[in-house]
Amino acid sequence: MSVPRRLVRSVLSVFCTLAVMLMSVTCNKQVTPAPPLPVFTPENDDANAGTWKMIVLSGPTQIAVPAPAAVTDPAYVAELTSIKSQQAAITSDQKNMIADWSGSGVLRWNEILRGLVAQSDLPPEPNPDGTYPVPSAANPFAFPQFPFGNPPYAARAYSYVAVAQYEALKAAWYYKYQYNRLSPSKNSSSIQSLMPTTNLPSYPSEDAAVSAVTSTLLQLLFPTAVDQITQQAAQQQLVVQLAGKASASDVAAGVALGQAVAAVFVARAGSDGMKNATGTTAQWQAIASAVAAKGEIPWISQEIPPRPPQLPFFGNVKAWMMTPADIVNERPGPPPSTSSPQMAQELAIVKQTVANLTSDQLAIAQKWQDGVSTTTPPGHWNTVAVPYISAAKFSEVRAARALALLDMALHDAAVACWDTKYTYYNPRPEQLDPSIKTVIGLPNFPSYTSGHSTFSAAAADVLSYLFPAGASDFASMRDEAATSRLYGGIHYNIDNETGKAHGKRVGDYTVRFAQSDGAGQ
Amino acid sequence: MTFVCALVELSQVCFPSHPIRPHRPNTGNLPVRLGVVVYRLCTKPLKKLLPPLVMLASLSATLHAQTVDDAIMIPKKTLFTGALYSHDTWNQYWEGPLERTNGNLGTVKTQSVSWTGNYGITDRLDVLVTVPYVWTHASQGVLHSMHGFQDFALGAKYNFLDRPFTEAGRIRAFAVVAGGIPMTGYTPDFQPLSIGLGAKRIAARGTLNFQSNRGWFLTGSTAYTWRDNVTLNRNSYFTEGQLFLTNQVQMPNVFDYVVSGGWFRRGLMLQGLFFQQRTQGGGDIRRQDMPFISNMMNLSRVSGMVMYPIPGPLHNLAYQFTYGYVVDGRNVGQSTTITTGFDYTVHFAKRGQKQ
Repeated sequence: MSVPRRLVRSVLSVFCTLAVMLMSVTCNKQVTPAPPLPVFTPENDDANAGTWKMIVLSGPTQIAVPAPAAVTDPAYVAELTSIKSQQAAITSDQKNMIADWSGSGVLRWNEILRGLVAQSDLPPEPNPDGTYPVPSAANPFAFPQFPFGNPPYAARAYSYVAVAQYEALKAAWYYKYQYNRLSPSKNSSSIQSLMPTTNLPSYPSEDAAVSAVTSTLLQLLFPTAVDQITQQAAQQQLVVQLAGKASASDVAAGVALGQAVAAVFVARAGSDGMKNATGTTAQWQAIASAVAAKGEIPWISQEIPPRPPQLPFFGNVKAWMMTPADIVNERPGPPPSTSSPQMAQELAIVKQTVANLTSDQLAIAQKWQDGVSTTTPPGHWNTVAVPYISAAKFSEVRAARALALLDMALHDAAVACWDTKYTYYNPRPEQLDPSIKTVIGLPNFPSYTSGHSTFSAAAADVLSYLFPAGASDFASMRDEAATSRLYGGIHYNIDNETGKAHGKRVGDYTVRFAQSDGAGQ
Repeated sequence: MTFVCALVELSQVCFPSHPIRPHRPNTGNLPVRLGVVVYRLCTKPLKKLLPPLVMLASLSATLHAQTVDDAIMIPKKTLFTGALYSHDTWNQYWEGPLERTNGNLGTVKTQSVSWTGNYGITDRLDVLVTVPYVWTHASQGVLHSMHGFQDFALGAKYNFLDRPFTEAGRIRAFAVVAGGIPMTGYTPDFQPLSIGLGAKRIAARGTLNFQSNRGWFLTGSTAYTWRDNVTLNRNSYFTEGQLFLTNQVQMPNVFDYVVSGGWFRRGLMLQGLFFQQRTQGGGDIRRQDMPFISNMMNLSRVSGMVMYPIPGPLHNLAYQFTYGYVVDGRNVGQSTTITTGFDYTVHFAKRGQKQ
């Protein structure tokens, strides 16, 4: 028996109507990964930045930059001609690339770096026998990939990149004003300026120096991202030429300078103690035994299976502004005894807080969660700082200074806090009372003191020095970040309060340096 | 009473999108204010579509009528209401394509109690509502349990075709519009222990059913679900290989279909179902990472269902039981789900009136 035609027609028509109707409901819900960095022209070229105090280099002339050819030299004239013809044939892709790099190269690299940290911020999965594999720098692509970008690793990475950029830029500034070669768009009226350009001399190119120093360090710190890193560096070097901001020889001199500065930092990174920060099983047990010998309950991993403690010897890694003696001297006193009534009280507060958590408190815990697959707490504070730097319209060298100061303080906070954590090896609330559960991930290292509180106080301290108008905002963010750990169920109040005070003292080391580095505020 | 299956399917099929825990009564639909919701979902392009959508919403009913006979639609002026309990557990899940266990979760259990209501506005147009309360719990690790009202779901089902097909039975077709909206500010950003995904959504569904005169039936149903962006409490997240510096998460849309067959007569139903959900985008859970709300959550589930009219004075009461098992998936738990409950039919029309 055949199917009635009308039946088929009515079915089809209804379904087609429905389909057409709903397919056209293309909701406008596109989410872009990051808004473009604001484009700005620096308000001040900071012509004296070549004299600002160095941190690692002995001075701006530690790395020699040869004098450029005269602007009348045929080779330079040919470079200008090349820019002219490239500008005449510019594509829309190239225009987009120029826009991407027009909001400060330093800030753009910082954003890329935060992405690399988030990508690598994953602890290794346990082996079937309950042990954990360790990422290997010698074989970074093998599972688990190197590195595990946990908070101390990230703090160190942010600081290496920021300080190296800053040193490279101060050296570049020194030579710029020694040689005073203007940018192609200033030297030739037929070359357009397609990026914000000032009267800053263009030899050696600051953007090229930044691209080279950053890409070299990032390849060391995040080796699996080599393709992305080299591509971005090449793009930055291409873009400044297309935009009439630097010529080929400006770029080449900048790249050479950046690479030479990077070599100094690569050497430092190889001997800063990071290689020994993981330690051995015997060393971890020695820490636990020492704490137990004092009658205290030592920290135990709450992961299943138990995971080795995170970087127990990161407290021995070289700091930027603090000596090893400073780290010990600033170390907070011990937490209340694990058997004391005060500890019982601290524990009760955590339990009560989590059990009665409001949705606002949960939101705060999540806002500052900064756990796996995030930029980590140091990255969170970089994210906080970037809009202040853009809004202040800093020159590239001053933007680099701001991030260097912030990230040195964050790294020193990581060193100081990890030193404290592994001195006292204090258990988390969930260990002392297994009925306490968390609403964010539980970090796999001892409780006292709170890393987030230490990081946040150090960061707020430095940012308040750099941007006094934002001081009250930074202070409330610092307090919110600290309290978020109580709401999350992962820290006692005393961890947070002690961590904040400690972080402030650590941050002050960087602020004192900044007060006398020759850059003014 | 015979419409129970529609309700079951409401919870299982109509609103796909379960993270690591496939069976969550997911529901949420927009109320009769479907139009309003749709409007909010996508402002511009929808303006022109509002009138027809609203019309359809208020016009049709049924989510999944894959059952049979007159029973598939709730007759005019009849309320079919039920209370269902659902128990869903898994101790293995797919991290991308890789199936694994996780000592920090152990067995993840999701329970829910849902109230459902299905009302016949006309014999061909039903409106269906679900209100679920959900509890989650992990047997190991330190992660906190969550509980609360999840998403309000509302659907309208229209039986636009119903006629004899060969001499053996009848064929029917249905168009459904359904939506879901979170009832509370529960957090979706605590997977796999969040009680839901926190996304407003709207789905279009088409269903075709053949019911033999002797009781056998075969039904196919398919839906496409549009999901609104979700707002997180944090200002950045990492997914699909990228850092996002925003609190907005774009939720991929979802395609699903279900095929079922069985026997249905005089209120007694036995049926087997095969359900597949395919998320149209989203990333995989990375090794040892937490799941994320916009992950590509795909799954295939087989289920068996019984509905049994309880004899005796309460002749409007029926019992139902469904057992479901996820046979394959991606970024979801391999869950076993049991749903059980009672349904009750209330006739508001006078006796003798057409039922």
